[in-house]
Amino acid sequence: MKSRFAYQPRPRPLQLASPGAAVAYLGAIVAVAFLYSNPLVLVAAGVAAAVAGLLAGARPAVRLALRMGFALGLLIVVVNALVVNRGETVLARLGEWPLFGRVDVTLEAIVAGLSGGLRAVVTIVAAAVYSACIDPDRVLRSLRPLAGRSALTATLVSRLVPVAAADAARLRDAARLRGPSAAVVGRAPLARRLLSGSLDRAVDVAATLELRGYSLDAPAARNRRARSRYDRRFYAVAVLVLAAAVAGKTLGADDFQTYPSVAIGLGPATLAVSALVALSGLTPLRRKPKRRRPAADGTKTSLYGPKSSGRRGPREVARV
Amino acid sequence: MSELAIRRGAAPALAVRGLTYTYPQAPQPALEDVSLEVAPGEFVLLAGRSASGKSTLLKAACGLVPHFHGGEIEGEVRVADLDAIAAGPGELAAAVGYLAQDPETQVVSTTVAAEIELPLEMRGDAPADRARAVEEVALALAIPHLLTRAVDTLSGGELQRVALAAALVTRPRLILLDEPTSQLDPVAGDELIWLLRRLNEEWGVAVLLAEHRLERCLAAADRVIAMDAGRLSFDGPPADFLVWSRDNDPALETPAARLFSLAGIDPLPTGVREARQTLRGTGAGPPPHSTCSGGALAAVRDSAAREVQAVRRGSGPRLSEGVLEAANLWVELDQGEDPRDVLKGVELAIHRGEQVALMGRNGAGKSTLLRTAAGLHGPAAGKLQVDSIALLTQNPSDYLVRERVGDELPSDEGMAALRVVGLEAKVDADPRDLSGGERQRLALAIALAGRMEGEELPGLVALDEPTRGMDHARKGELVRLVERLAERGSAVVVATHDVEFASEFADRVVLLGDGVVIADGPMAEILSGGWYFATEVARVLDLPGVVTPEQGAAALREEGF
Repeated sequence: MKSRFAYQPRPRPLQLASPGAAVAYLGAIVAVAFLYSNPLVLVAAGVAAAVAGLLAGARPAVRLALRMGFALGLLIVVVNALVVNRGETVLARLGEWPLFGRVDVTLEAIVAGLSGGLRAVVTIVAAAVYSACIDPDRVLRSLRPLAGRSALTATLVSRLVPVAAADAARLRDAARLRGPSAAVVGRAPLARRLLSGSLDRAVDVAATLELRGYSLDAPAARNRRARSRYDRRFYAVAVLVLAAAVAGKTLGADDFQTYPSVAIGLGPATLAVSALVALSGLTPLRRKPKRRRPAADGTKTSLYGPKSSGRRGPREVARV
Repeated sequence: MSELAIRRGAAPALAVRGLTYTYPQAPQPALEDVSLEVAPGEFVLLAGRSASGKSTLLKAACGLVPHFHGGEIEGEVRVADLDAIAAGPGELAAAVGYLAQDPETQVVSTTVAAEIELPLEMRGDAPADRARAVEEVALALAIPHLLTRAVDTLSGGELQRVALAAALVTRPRLILLDEPTSQLDPVAGDELIWLLRRLNEEWGVAVLLAEHRLERCLAAADRVIAMDAGRLSFDGPPADFLVWSRDNDPALETPAARLFSLAGIDPLPTGVREARQTLRGTGAGPPPHSTCSGGALAAVRDSAAREVQAVRRGSGPRLSEGVLEAANLWVELDQGEDPRDVLKGVELAIHRGEQVALMGRNGAGKSTLLRTAAGLHGPAAGKLQVDSIALLTQNPSDYLVRERVGDELPSDEGMAALRVVGLEAKVDADPRDLSGGERQRLALAIALAGRMEGEELPGLVALDEPTRGMDHARKGELVRLVERLAERGSAVVVATHDVEFASEFADRVVLLGDGVVIADGPMAEILSGGWYFATEVARVLDLPGVVTPEQGAAALREEGF
């Protein structure tokens, strides 16, 4: 079965953008999550990452990432609540626990855990969108002139991971199909078998790479790809979000205190940064080409100007 | 030699002289004193049994041997005037393309366009040149619609075409193919062979194709080279090869040639068209579409039809207890983003003692049906009742995880299963030292162990694509094993693309198409009633119920040949 996080090519702006632009955009959202602790800004970053993924058509990846992120976030909240006794608002006194010592569950510890959990959600969702929407081949090839061996290793691994996953699924099926009197297959023999099979597979894939000329030293300049028409948009939003985040941070937009008592800043700077970050999620929106309205007299006009003119007017050329 | 001279065909596409090669730590050479030449634009078929050295020869021609595999090599290999032993596979990539059996391990990129473009990118071609080359090769192979697809969403046939496109995009002078159709259904396999012929004719690329199913590609070839134990045993035109194989190695005979041999007709045909022309020329026949209503051929046809009706009515010898009954069976598989119905209301009943071939194109639902019967998938709707089942999946090696046969099957029930498959003498052997056929039988014994009551076999034994990469001799062994299992009371269901193999073992054929049963009946009726899912003899004679060379020869003899 194909992973929901696996890259799926789609004719959407995020997939069509060059890897640098897409990584800059998603990286800016993750950077906000690491710069800020204010839950409102973190929620905005999470919304931006999720909306970006949905607009890019990666709905299954976003849904799974949200489930995983919330599960991890909940774990962080619970662990923080159990191990941190700071805070003025004690919600429950659970007495002495082995390893933990005295356990007092405080509102402040829960909110602090919530902040950490939200940061984990943002990171996981953004990583899922990256995985599902950005072509790993293009990333690896852009790295090849900089680090050939590392790019080769990464290419091998990126190809072998799905192949090994398919092999593991097949081996599990074969283990289930063994007769009840055949030797029981434990995890160790199965893992050994998978490893030896993966080595064979790696040899096959390496042979294919060799046959495709991967060992040749190609001139780096010739591997430059044409940029996408969406690049400028993603770079601009990335710069805008980062600049606003840094400026907001200096202006106190990250006003958030957990101990000894909770204080969440909701000032204009925080609201502005949150709004901007949340709106950045709309960057992968695909604009539909504008249709020209019929002329007032009911006659249709061509995209390339009136038929009678026979020439294409510069203002009437459609942007494709 | 200049590039122009090479392009004009002054240098052979491949020249091998006195080649002897031994794999690392192998006791004997895989190739011994091999010498041959492939001319530019020639289409050469490489025939031979398993382990005869075909794959090693292809690997030597593309530089994988010895550069990738190591070992000791003597002699000379030149590809388009490049020294293949001195140059590595990377340098040879511009002159030679290579396509192996398993398309899964031949793609290294995420999308089709990136995969095809990779060799050009590695060579440092300019983006505009790459774009044009990708477009042209995609058009030549009829895959422009696949360019934006992810490689892991492609079918086996599509993946094989993409791998072929990646091998051809550098415009090589020679393309090497190692059993490229072994995992394809008859439709995709035939299409690939004729695509190669077209590329050979239009682009002038020389083709060296190793294949076991010779009937599929003999008609497309200019020349045949046969190998045996690492040496060349025959080198000549296809028509001469047929005579040679009849006299020296009948396992390499095609069904149509065997039909003519048994009927005593000359010359032996290289394909269906030639066979029909010969029969027409001698006044024998029914082709192009038989409408004969009298005479001996009609009698044979009526007799075959009566046999078919007898089996269909259930008056055949073995129909008894049902071991698999599917009623309106729907199965949905979740392929990540798009869960889809793979089986769509299958109605099927299989009885003890039946030998059933489950056929259909790639993705028709054959494997899913068997896996659902074995409990690996659950039905989405409908009913499925199965007696005990032992399923052998496509890769028997997946079942082998220990280093001693006896350790795989430690109990008395395990020994009983080993006896059923005839491997009781190999109890102390390492599974890795067994031959391919023995490993397959061992895997079957592992699936059977504990599912037998005493010596009684489970109700259903299912084999999924067991003949991939098998030569004719090994298929014969498998046919005998299937017959033994059926004689002992099991229903044996084999999912297969191999029409000739099906005609040898099956008494019933179930044909699946896009998740539904589109034909179900006696083997002779189903395999003589179509074009793709029909044996070569059936396509030659076009007589209902006549599918094997023996039946065909009997019909022709009755007609007076």
